[in-house]
Amino acid sequence: MKHIILSLTLIFAMASAAQAQCYADYKAKQDNPLRLHYGVAEISGNCSTGNAAQQLGARLAARGWTLLQIQSVFGPEGLDQRKASAGQFYLRF
Amino acid sequence: MQDNSTSASDMRRAGGRLVTFGIAGIVLVLAVAALMLFLALPDAGAFDARVERIFIENSDLTSPAEIKLLEILAQSGTAFSDTLASYRLVIFVLLVFGTAMMIAALVFLVLLVSFNRRMAQIERVGIQVNSLLISREENTVYLNNLGFKLTAAAMETMSVLAEARMDDDVMSGSEIEGVISGRNAADCDEAAGATRIKRLRDTLGNQIVSELLVKNIARRGYMLAVEKDVIKVL
Repeated sequence: MKHIILSLTLIFAMASAAQAQCYADYKAKQDNPLRLHYGVAEISGNCSTGNAAQQLGARLAARGWTLLQIQSVFGPEGLDQRKASAGQFYLRF
Repeated sequence: MQDNSTSASDMRRAGGRLVTFGIAGIVLVLAVAALMLFLALPDAGAFDARVERIFIENSDLTSPAEIKLLEILAQSGTAFSDTLASYRLVIFVLLVFGTAMMIAALVFLVLLVSFNRRMAQIERVGIQVNSLLISREENTVYLNNLGFKLTAAAMETMSVLAEARMDDDVMSGSEIEGVISGRNAADCDEAAGATRIKRLRDTLGNQIVSELLVKNIARRGYMLAVEKDVIKVL
């Protein structure tokens, strides 16, 4: 019983930790004239490509961008190596 | 003769149909060419889509500089497609001109054929006087540049008739006699004028027939002045 509670707490903690600290890098475009960008954005909730695509698609569409592709999802440890590439689109959306 | 005229009108009707079909065909060819022209050339979106695919397929194309280059690539593609659009317009205009030329050529061809047919008909009708020149000094009347020598009396009659024709008058025999003899028409005999007309017809008709039909070749004899392949004996 104690075991189960402990492992549940652990899973919950890991899940909430993942929830708070999930990021995705993506590619998006604008048409006429064609503009492209690569960016990094924070994802809330489930840390999966599908969830990230859903959230980011909506967020980008609100600003006139079309999501092309989610490259990957990663935790905070992956932020630094992508910061330079994302440039002005680092955690913008 | 009845057969001939029927076939001629049939041919004219067939010719009209041919022209309609020809023009319809030319317009159809133009329409197909224009359609292919406008469908075959890529639109501006094609270049953008190609660049977009490159961007998606290469996961390491993420740095701002590379992305900027991709955007420039897409822009140059768009500029190129604008050039293509202007070319397309030029080609289309030339196509329209070409079609107009072809239609004009077809119409002229048909006109030429119909003119030829009408010429043949006119030739078949026979002698049609399109110039009548009266030369009093030579006592000669020229019909279509064929000169016919007349006696002085026949010349007088001819001149009187020509003057009357120019005034759109019709003259009776006594009036003709009156004008030529200088007397009052009421005092003249109708028969005298008729005789003058008969003499004029005899001399002129005789010469016309000898010029156009029965030729007299000096010291050899007589010959029909027609082509031998136009003669048919029923």
